[in-house]
Amino acid sequence: MGAQDPEAVPAPGKAAPAAFHEAYEAGGGVREHWQYLLDSLKELGPDELSLRRHALERILRDDGATYNDYSAGLTARAWGLDPIPFLLPSDEWSVVESGVRERAELMDMLLRDLYGPRNLLKHGIIPPELVLSNDAFLRECQGLALPGEQQLIQYATDIVRTPRGELRVMSDRAQTPSGTGYALENRMAMSRVFPSLFRDSHVHRLSLYFNNLRLKLNELNPNGDVARVAVLTPGAYNETYFEHVFLANYLGYPLVQGRDLTVRDGYVWLKTLDGLSRIDVILRRVDDSYCDPVELYAQSQLGVPGLLETVRSGNVAVVNPLGSGVLENRGLARYLPAAAQYFLGRELRLKSAQTWWCGDDADLDYTLRNLDTLIVKTTSRGPDSQIVDGAALDAAGREALAEKIRRNPLRYIAQERLTPSLSPVWDSGAGPDLPLVLRSFAVAGESSYVVMPGGLTRVGTKPGAFEISNRLGSLSKDTWILASEPEKRTEVQPAEDTVAPGTGWAGMQLPSRVVDNLFWVGRYTERSEASLRLLRTVLSCLKGEHSIDPASRPLLLRAVTHLTGTYPGFLGKNADPSAPMPELHSVVLDAKRVGSITWSLHALLRAVDQVKDFMSADTQRILNDLRDEMALLPDLLRRDYSSAPEEALDRLVSILLALAGLSQESMVRGQGWHFLDMGRRIERSVLTISLLRSLLVPRVQGEAESLLLETVLISAEALMTYRRRYQRNVNIDDALDLLLLEPANPRSLMFQLERLDEHLRSLPDSPDGPRLPREQRLRLEAASQLALADLAELARTGEGEYLRGKLDQLLARIQRLVTEIAGALTDKYFEHTGGHQPLGLSGRREESQ
Amino acid sequence: MKYRIRHRTRYEYQDVVSQCYSMTHLLPRNTFYQRCNRASISINPLPATGNDRTDYFGNHTYHFAVQYPHRMLEVVAESEVEILAQRQSLALDFGATCAEVRTLLYRLEPEENLRAREFLLDSPKISRSDALADYARDSFADDRPFFSCVSELTARIYSEFSFDPRSTEVSTPLEEVLKLRAGVCQDFAHLAIGCLRSLGYPARYVSGYLETVPPPGQKKLEGADASHAWFSAYSPTEGWADFDPTNNLMALEQHITTAWGRDYSDVTPLKGSVLGGGAGHELDVAVDVERIEA
Repeated sequence: MGAQDPEAVPAPGKAAPAAFHEAYEAGGGVREHWQYLLDSLKELGPDELSLRRHALERILRDDGATYNDYSAGLTARAWGLDPIPFLLPSDEWSVVESGVRERAELMDMLLRDLYGPRNLLKHGIIPPELVLSNDAFLRECQGLALPGEQQLIQYATDIVRTPRGELRVMSDRAQTPSGTGYALENRMAMSRVFPSLFRDSHVHRLSLYFNNLRLKLNELNPNGDVARVAVLTPGAYNETYFEHVFLANYLGYPLVQGRDLTVRDGYVWLKTLDGLSRIDVILRRVDDSYCDPVELYAQSQLGVPGLLETVRSGNVAVVNPLGSGVLENRGLARYLPAAAQYFLGRELRLKSAQTWWCGDDADLDYTLRNLDTLIVKTTSRGPDSQIVDGAALDAAGREALAEKIRRNPLRYIAQERLTPSLSPVWDSGAGPDLPLVLRSFAVAGESSYVVMPGGLTRVGTKPGAFEISNRLGSLSKDTWILASEPEKRTEVQPAEDTVAPGTGWAGMQLPSRVVDNLFWVGRYTERSEASLRLLRTVLSCLKGEHSIDPASRPLLLRAVTHLTGTYPGFLGKNADPSAPMPELHSVVLDAKRVGSITWSLHALLRAVDQVKDFMSADTQRILNDLRDEMALLPDLLRRDYSSAPEEALDRLVSILLALAGLSQESMVRGQGWHFLDMGRRIERSVLTISLLRSLLVPRVQGEAESLLLETVLISAEALMTYRRRYQRNVNIDDALDLLLLEPANPRSLMFQLERLDEHLRSLPDSPDGPRLPREQRLRLEAASQLALADLAELARTGEGEYLRGKLDQLLARIQRLVTEIAGALTDKYFEHTGGHQPLGLSGRREESQ
Repeated sequence: MKYRIRHRTRYEYQDVVSQCYSMTHLLPRNTFYQRCNRASISINPLPATGNDRTDYFGNHTYHFAVQYPHRMLEVVAESEVEILAQRQSLALDFGATCAEVRTLLYRLEPEENLRAREFLLDSPKISRSDALADYARDSFADDRPFFSCVSELTARIYSEFSFDPRSTEVSTPLEEVLKLRAGVCQDFAHLAIGCLRSLGYPARYVSGYLETVPPPGQKKLEGADASHAWFSAYSPTEGWADFDPTNNLMALEQHITTAWGRDYSDVTPLKGSVLGGGAGHELDVAVDVERIEA
């Protein structure tokens, strides 16, 4: 096999041809379809455009649109959207559309052949070594078949326009193509910020694609009836997690992780509090080899054990089918022209960038002789994927690369360097025009593929960039396909019945993982808030704004240690109550210290990340505020401490209150809400008790006691209530009554226990029969102990007694009971099995002689 | 020749296993020279589902799932296999030469060539290397009959490597085996395959059983046999031929094939995933190969 058409590649040393410009003709005139947009933007003027750009940023931020980057240490990067869209007129679009559709059809034939008869290999159309040496070819997936003709359901392809104006494909995505959600988010943001421009431009709508996806997923149901579909995500640390959440919500399907699912009796089930609920179709964002630890990657915790065999039995459909990563082998591009001739009897309308596969002798030779002009890539897109720009290497670097290729030629391809077309970009002003790549999406439809009229456009970070990817921080653009006249609404509307009753979070069938996380959202919110309140009070006492007896100071500091659990803290041997600031700073700021405020807030954010799809849309705004405020905290606290550090804490308290308010006001009163609020009630009970045990159990005399009581009441947000209610100086009996028994005080212990009662009664029926379940018995015991207590008696101390021993005993008992309620809930409702582990022969092997 | 084989695998877990999903390569496949007349597998505790399947390589696999909490899992595979008369010694000094094998392999006919080319590539447990090629090179010459060279390599591994179960583990890489000059049957099979592939010849891994004969006058002990492994090399003109480097034999009437693949990882007798089970388990395997008809 010889190298293909050598003319298509610029000869070494020749200057790269000037890039095609999307908006301007070679002579400098504006292309017709850009005229209206450019005029309108000019009319808006730079100041207005800047404002709109900020508006876009705000919308994306409020929606939580991020692209997470592993390499940057788990930081979520804000999704960047340029206010200038990429425009394509109808006639040009129809070329793209038919080209993408044809490629999708070809890819589908490839997929069916490679896991079926493998005629392409038998007839020498594709060298077997290219496919068989690639990790993405999964022998376990031989013969898998989805219902219906098409096997490839979702397909995406990255397209650029060359200097000659031709379209070329840079890469194909056929496993779990990402980007549709970002495209949709871009569209929603743009149409809000530029409503009239958008309306007057007659832009094709994207919903066609998603409606078809819904229809197709429903059609793939192997079990009859209305399909129960779930979106399978690897979890919150995936780069495109935002999109998983966004799509699941948009499509109305539950977002699940591998451990939310289980295989029983040959079917796949979602584990919910109400028991198992069958799943018929899985729209996955987990890579092939991670989907089933039984047959594929044994160490994977992201998959579902037994999934592959369930697929084989035809009891669940996985989209795209397992094994479809084989189509992402970068060497296939070299043989697509031949495969198109073989299957379709014609050339592809939308061609790939010219590709050489080093497993072919002639291609290897060409590659090694032209390393300085080529882009070298691994055939595999897996973890060992590499992309090297030959032109960027010096002679030694090229020789090292050549040696690597020679040692393992099957693993490498070379691709011609393409010069993508340019587009205007509004990046805080008129910057240089930047290269652009369009990711186009197709979904299997009735007879062929439906191509999203639009797509995800990304621009390079600098002129001349050869790789354009989110990982490199590319900015995105909305893609406007301009209809010549306003679009008629002819698109397929999903039938009412395509969403199964009881699926989607609306059905309230929550996986226990979600419930578990909501419970902890409640607990961490409360823990953070209570710690912040106490710290705030302590700081203001130390500054003398709130007076306290100097002898009570060590008590107060020790309460900080008790409440946050940051032992030894102020209980340690070396604690110095006269210079408490370093320790207090650490209790606020040290993220590594279990129990510190920052630690609790991080734990809260992590738990929220796990249940993002369940939280109200406004939650994101509050979380953004929380993150911003946390970032400011170290600076504010370290400043001169006369500058009111507690104000920084005030703002955090307000944000947490907003979060709590939102859950009260916006959450449906389903299981999720019950568990969230139970978490909060349990935590508040435990912390209130902790506060009372550290501050009110020790006996303090006279004036000092009423000052300390006031401090406790402030910290428990109850001083105002106290004054209104009792209208006299604070005394221990009234304070205990208010903090422990008063049912109308939302911060009293009794109030928490009563709310807990309501929640516990709402939980799914337990198999305990007529007897009270354990958690209810524990609660009843706690509430009875409290109700029967004679507070005045408990508060009394005899001569020479320095502790209210009986009060302490009661509080300790109730604290233990409440902790046990949490334990009982955990045992009963949450997953507490570790992950799956491989069953192997553990070192055992064939060792006979 | 007819054999009855019983292969029992027993796991005892430290802690309760609530679910177990597993896949086995325990039941013998049919081959050109072997017919499996009866095959059954029984699992205790009773599995909720169990499915037979033929895998990518044509091997007989069995998948099962146990949903009942258990501390002990026992899998017993029983089969009757007949070794057909075709299984006879090859005349090693005839047939394609090494050079012919390397050229003919790239013809599209016979179709087996295409399948064989798969066994030329690196696989999960076997990577081609200069060291392996260097070790094997002396035994191969372009103008010599290929299978006589393979036979020589087999003999060299047998004489230059010592059988020592303590010297290696399942995870010991091939380079290490080559350095240690020691290992077990699985290592030797992998080693020979790595050598052949590094020189450009297709070779595959075969797992199965070897009939053992007790010393004269002694009764064969129950469960005394073991699963065994060897390799198969390919010539476009002669097809596949099996060699046993552990015993310096060609695999003939006493070698019963269970499954073949690129290496051990394709034909692991039993693998899977369990929920629970604690930190470890005890594993006990017993194999009996009984000749029931000459």
